[in-house]
Amino acid sequence: MKEKKRFLLLLGLVLLHLLLISVQVPRGDEPTYFERALFSIFGPVEHGVVSFFRGLKGAWQGYFYLRDVQQQNQSLRDEAFELRQENLALRNLLLGFQGSRDIQSLLSTVSRSILVATVIGIDSSQVYKSIRLNKGAKDGVRRDMVVLDRQGRLVGRVVEPITRGESRVQLISDEDSGVGVVTRRFRVVGVLQGDAEGRCRLKYIVKTNKDVQVDEEVLTSGLDGIYPSGLPVGRIMSIGEDGDLFKVIVVVPHFDISDLDQVAVFTADLRGLS
Amino acid sequence: MKRIIEGASGLVLAVVLHTVLGKVSPPLLVLFNAFSWVVLFFGLTRHEVFGALMGTACGLVQDSLSLGIFGVGGLTKTLLGFGAGYISRKINVTPAGRTFVFVIVLAAVELALWKLLVLFLFGERFAEGGGLVLLQPLATALMVTAAFQVRRRREARRA
Repeated sequence: MKEKKRFLLLLGLVLLHLLLISVQVPRGDEPTYFERALFSIFGPVEHGVVSFFRGLKGAWQGYFYLRDVQQQNQSLRDEAFELRQENLALRNLLLGFQGSRDIQSLLSTVSRSILVATVIGIDSSQVYKSIRLNKGAKDGVRRDMVVLDRQGRLVGRVVEPITRGESRVQLISDEDSGVGVVTRRFRVVGVLQGDAEGRCRLKYIVKTNKDVQVDEEVLTSGLDGIYPSGLPVGRIMSIGEDGDLFKVIVVVPHFDISDLDQVAVFTADLRGLS
Repeated sequence: MKRIIEGASGLVLAVVLHTVLGKVSPPLLVLFNAFSWVVLFFGLTRHEVFGALMGTACGLVQDSLSLGIFGVGGLTKTLLGFGAGYISRKINVTPAGRTFVFVIVLAAVELALWKLLVLFLFGERFAEGGGLVLLQPLATALMVTAAFQVRRRREARRA
């Protein structure tokens, strides 16, 4: 191929990319069909790789490396016993506030709506932006469903693209994410936004507000119309000031991306239950 | 046909490496960019046309597995693949030392270009992993130089 033709090919490819970028502008965060197609082709590749390694790990831990299994088993039995007692006590406590039928229906809705998913991939360009799950449309996953970690702490929400077997989750540490939050002690309301480095900023708290303190717990407020209220989000790490009207508040999210192996997707709308 | 299979295998390998690295430790993804490794390797061994096509394919797959702007990774990696192939045809980068320096420069340029596009055109910040991202060109250079030298020696032995 002659040199001129090679440069023409490069020019064509560059124009193709510029076209792909500009096509997205009117679509906002809605992915193009091309992006969806690539996602649906390479999502299963990741799914397969993770399943393979999970299988290897499972075989190793299930058949060969059985050290301390007896001890772990006993500790899990103890934990399950304690959780059952706690569950029973909380159910009885709830009955004091609401009728028995309401409580039963609420609890059965909550337990039916939990979908356990495995994390099959981390965002390929910015680590703290998104993750991908091995559950998709065929499992009932829809846009804006809430995702929590093993301890029930907020991780993010489901966003497009959602294929049959895979889906994408926008993390709360993403710079484009916004979560309505409230501080636990003085119920100060703000908006939590990611800082692209794994931490978040609590925004729109005016400098004159003295009720926000370091080490305070931050919970979802439910005011954003996506997340139900009362979910643990993070802890205030530092409070500073700049030339602006508002405080600079750094929040460390509770979830740890290195420990995100399995997550819980809430397939029901929990906003009405909170 | 052989080249298409090679390219497709390289692409799948990049996705597999990316998945494995993410599973081992997510912050490693700030340091290691498997998609860049594949593009540079094919740029060096198959020159600019194949390098640019691999850059397009790898970049778009990388973009599709990210919540970021679709096409930015494709654009920078296309330029990376083309640049690697075109320059390596003009100057001799075969010795290991030269390959290393050449790749480190190209990887740094690609990273800077991507960062500029993301930061200035789209106003998004960039995960730097406490400065770890600055070592990405070095890690890329080490991996690509090693792979390139292994391939070169294997070919020399065959000849």
